[in-house]
Amino acid sequence: MKFKVALLVIAAILILVGAVAASGVPLSVAGESIWRGCFGSSRSVSGLLREVVPFVMLGSAVFLALRAGLFNIGADGQFLVGALTSATVALKVPNFGGLILGLLGGIVAGALWAFPAGWIRAYRGGHEVITTIMLNNIAALLATSMVSGPIKDPSQESTTTAILANATWLPMMSFGEVKISLALPVAVFGVIGFAYWLRRSVKGFELEATGANAGAATFAGIEVKSVQLRAMVASGAVAGLTGAIQVLAFEHRFYSNFSPGYGFDALGVALLAGASPLGILPAALGFGILSKSATALSIEGIPKGITTLIVGLLIVILAAMRYRRERTSG
Amino acid sequence: MDSLFLVLKSTVTLSAPLLLAAMAGYTSERTGVINIALEGKMLAGCLAAGLVGILSGSAVLGVLAGVTAAVLMSLLHWLLTQSYSIDHIVSGMAVNAVSFGATSFLYKNYTDPSKVTETPTLPLPAYYAIAFVVPVALAWVSSRTRFGLRLRAVGGDPEKSRSMGLNPGAVRFKSLLLTGLFCGLSGTLIVSNTGYFTDGMTAGRGFIALAALIIGSWRPIPTMIACIAFGFLEALQLQLQGTRLAGAEIPRELWNVLPYLATVIALAGFVGKSRAPAGLGKP
Repeated sequence: MKFKVALLVIAAILILVGAVAASGVPLSVAGESIWRGCFGSSRSVSGLLREVVPFVMLGSAVFLALRAGLFNIGADGQFLVGALTSATVALKVPNFGGLILGLLGGIVAGALWAFPAGWIRAYRGGHEVITTIMLNNIAALLATSMVSGPIKDPSQESTTTAILANATWLPMMSFGEVKISLALPVAVFGVIGFAYWLRRSVKGFELEATGANAGAATFAGIEVKSVQLRAMVASGAVAGLTGAIQVLAFEHRFYSNFSPGYGFDALGVALLAGASPLGILPAALGFGILSKSATALSIEGIPKGITTLIVGLLIVILAAMRYRRERTSG
Repeated sequence: MDSLFLVLKSTVTLSAPLLLAAMAGYTSERTGVINIALEGKMLAGCLAAGLVGILSGSAVLGVLAGVTAAVLMSLLHWLLTQSYSIDHIVSGMAVNAVSFGATSFLYKNYTDPSKVTETPTLPLPAYYAIAFVVPVALAWVSSRTRFGLRLRAVGGDPEKSRSMGLNPGAVRFKSLLLTGLFCGLSGTLIVSNTGYFTDGMTAGRGFIALAALIIGSWRPIPTMIACIAFGFLEALQLQLQGTRLAGAEIPRELWNVLPYLATVIALAGFVGKSRAPAGLGKP
């Protein structure tokens, strides 16, 4: 099996080298612009740390569901409705209350969007992946129709809302010239708290037990269905909060195609994290670097599609190493 | 009368790619291979057909390239799920990501934006004929032929079929070849409609096809009916565009949301039980 995984890694590297070679940019130039784009100046470091926030949070959302044995492919849709809701709320309430209500709105919207998937999986036996895929598409259509109609800024040509009032922005902190959002430390401490909760609390144990073997967990007296439903809703709430933070801390508006394909990235972060939530932090940093590198490389003329390709290959390799469904005898 | 004819005509053109994609899903899921990667496979077909068609100037080469690309992506899905035993969902996500990324990369890298040409196409009615014959043929194959029975046996219970002397991996190889073929045809048809590739041009049709498959309870003829219904909805929406109902225009998104909504309701078991193959996702 080790040999097979090695074969995959070699194939993935060959594809990537081939892709960069096909774009005609020398490797040394590409490497230099990646370095400059991620760490070259205090501005690029600030940018990198900003990219990391959604990866930490969405990665945690998918990770949480995954530990309960559920695939939350719907993080993308929950993120979207969270962002949409918080932008709508913050436009209507242009003061500090808008910030608080916007954050809460994002959480509630994300949780509601995940609820059908969790409920159908737990109590109706329908696969959560299919439900979340459908809900993703519904979320995208909802977002498009809202931003091209009711919440569109009429003075703008493109489909976007107006810029939110300053009072609703989540504060930024400055460390010398590096600016980071308040959301980053909150997200990091959230992950640490989550890791502690998963290892040390009864509820966390029930979640892990459900994910490891739902049948055995039922025999141990765990309400497996209720755990699955709650895990999915919690996962959606975190994804919705991520959307709210993306609006209130960084973008300060909502526009069409708001998610740059976070669904793939979130799954990638969760798989890369391994068995402990603490692994989410370095994994998210890795994805942040990847995303900033893509921006830097696209200036050199390497099309941005290469990041999604890399994420796909990464998911394949990680899954081959540790997320396999082995044949059970008998 | 004229508008009715128009709606029927566009129902045929709009449901054809869905039919092909849904049958691609059928052959895969009936053997127990969960396939959320229809979209990616179709997109690979779109790109290869569009790019090779334009570069070579030959419609036949374009179709061959489109089908080959989708078959290769389908076999990647087979390799990952069967040989590497990766979870089918994760493998599907990976195939989609690789397809989305690679098609966007290749298209930007090998297209000269200053010279926009259209890819040569085979006559479109040929696609429509294939799209409407395939489900009927599959209904017959799956219940009347040795291959079809094996296909369903493996999907029903891979372990039992193994003990009966079947090799699920081999049966699934053949069924995923068919999946690639149908996805490739669907992608080629989509790119033939517009003449050239654009990023993400399958626009969720792979997922609508999956929706049709679920609403059709993984059976060819009911799935076909669901596809035609979705095509009809879209045709109706195009026809009614701009007309007003109770003083307000119906937003386009409201129509487009119906297939997805119907699927969620079907999954919740509100309209009869949708019966999935029992061996879905099992090794």
